[in-house]
Amino acid sequence: MKRSILGGIAFNLLAWTVVFIVAFPLVWMVITSVKPQFELFRIPPTFWPEQITFEHYTRLLFETPFLTYMRNSLVLSSATTVLVVGVATLGAHSLVRFRYRGREVLAQLVLFTYLLPSVVLLLPLYLMMVWLGVANSLFSLVIAYTSFALPYALWLLRSFMQGIPEDLESAALVDGATRMEAFFDVILPQALPGIISTCLFTFILSWNEYLYALVLVNTDAARPLTTGVMSMLVSAFNIEWSLLMAASVMMSIPLIIIFAFLQKFLTRGFGAGGVKG
Amino acid sequence: MAAQHGTAAGRGNPLDRKDALLGVMLIAPTVLIFCAVIVYPLVSALYLSLFRIYTPTLQGNFVGFANYAELAGSPEFWRSLLNTAVWTVLTLTLQIVFGIAAALMLNQAMLFRSLARSLILFPYFVSTVVAVLVWRWLFNDLYGILNHAAMWAGILDMPLDWLGSMPNSMISIVLVGAWKYFPFVVIAVLARLQTIPEPLYEAARIDGAGAWSRFTDVTLPQLREVLVVVVLLRAIWDFKEFDLIYLLTGGGPVIATQTLPLMVYKEAFGLNEMGRASAVAVVMMLVMLVFMLFYLRVNRAQDQR
Repeated sequence: MKRSILGGIAFNLLAWTVVFIVAFPLVWMVITSVKPQFELFRIPPTFWPEQITFEHYTRLLFETPFLTYMRNSLVLSSATTVLVVGVATLGAHSLVRFRYRGREVLAQLVLFTYLLPSVVLLLPLYLMMVWLGVANSLFSLVIAYTSFALPYALWLLRSFMQGIPEDLESAALVDGATRMEAFFDVILPQALPGIISTCLFTFILSWNEYLYALVLVNTDAARPLTTGVMSMLVSAFNIEWSLLMAASVMMSIPLIIIFAFLQKFLTRGFGAGGVKG
Repeated sequence: MAAQHGTAAGRGNPLDRKDALLGVMLIAPTVLIFCAVIVYPLVSALYLSLFRIYTPTLQGNFVGFANYAELAGSPEFWRSLLNTAVWTVLTLTLQIVFGIAAALMLNQAMLFRSLARSLILFPYFVSTVVAVLVWRWLFNDLYGILNHAAMWAGILDMPLDWLGSMPNSMISIVLVGAWKYFPFVVIAVLARLQTIPEPLYEAARIDGAGAWSRFTDVTLPQLREVLVVVVLLRAIWDFKEFDLIYLLTGGGPVIATQTLPLMVYKEAFGLNEMGRASAVAVVMMLVMLVFMLFYLRVNRAQDQR
């Protein structure tokens, strides 16, 4: 018995060392962002900051275009999420609960597009935006983001909706509801947790997107956080690491919120295949 | 009768057929958007690859398969293809090994296990831009903590140039890639581990199997199916990775870590060869098609069970 307690302690120590190593880069990001500039360049570096400062955060918010980028990212990710999840909810319902020619082919096509690399669609989409005259706008990014977000949301919602028992809808139909009434009164409430979790994953995906934003937008007015923060890195004469670490922390805030408060929706999404790289 | 037939078919209710038109209307917006932002660009990419197009003016002329012929004779293309293969195989291997190990660890009883799980998963959800900024700061040659820690521990005599020389830069992107993406393997494997029946392990223990043989004889066979899916998905996603490599090394030094997606970007916007860039994208797509079709087959087979 005594031996297994010792073994338990050893295992916990080992496991938490591993967890700490994996989490260290992110811990270091937070620590760096609250260190005063002079402490950053101390050799050898100090682990705990000797004094904590939020000057980098105030500089970031008031002396750089960071807030514009943040607003752009919020607008862009919200618009993409609303558009994509709206269209995909109808589409997924159709794929799961209706029968028509070509349905299976369509489902396979959705999965195929889910795996399609952005790089292949990038150049034609760039040309398309130029021809349409909408290049360099958030609107062009919303269009481009649907190309990966829609197949993703559709696939995720399809697997959520397959889990809703068919009898529920049948019962409503027997009671005299039309198909659309049954959809709104029975299917939607049942699918709601799945829809919320799809919204979260789609939002994270759009929030983190980089390649389309790099190619389609080159003005600060329409830049989202990903390319905006990288352009701050490139434009600065000396790289200001504390400022960049503060920006990284700020960029991760939506994620931290989701992890802290909405984790049950994330876990639900894992089961449905809600993780994409 | 009709209702019985519906349940016997196992899918949908008998009204489904009658309502086919409504079903088509519900999927119509999806199909329209698919055509506009996926099908048309895909066809267009094939078409563009037959032209020589100057990016700033977007003017071009038809050259047939000349772009492909040029690629076949270009050492840079073959080097990029090789780099893509090296990066994919190495980072994927590490992701799988770390992922399985971490999942086994997180499946055991430990203090604050759900906090530990969240911390392990976090790198996967953080933006690649954030991951790259943090790692570039860790790798920094003058003030980076990695060099200091290694020198303090006596592993290094002098600071290492992590990103600017070979083979360090390939090793660095592979490591950061493994760190960023192994949680995907953890999520998938952990979910499967929780469904392995305990009696299987008890039976193995009674037969005198040690920890290692319980892992190879019970756990691994049970994980086989999920691992096939995970390896295929991660292979597809690692193969097309752009952000992480572009932001860490930009393909450098020179083209030592330039993978195919980076070559597409460079041809189109660095060298202004939009046509040749499309040809690279198409070739990349063809290579990936093998994995994608294989995944579709596996997915369909598992779906039917």
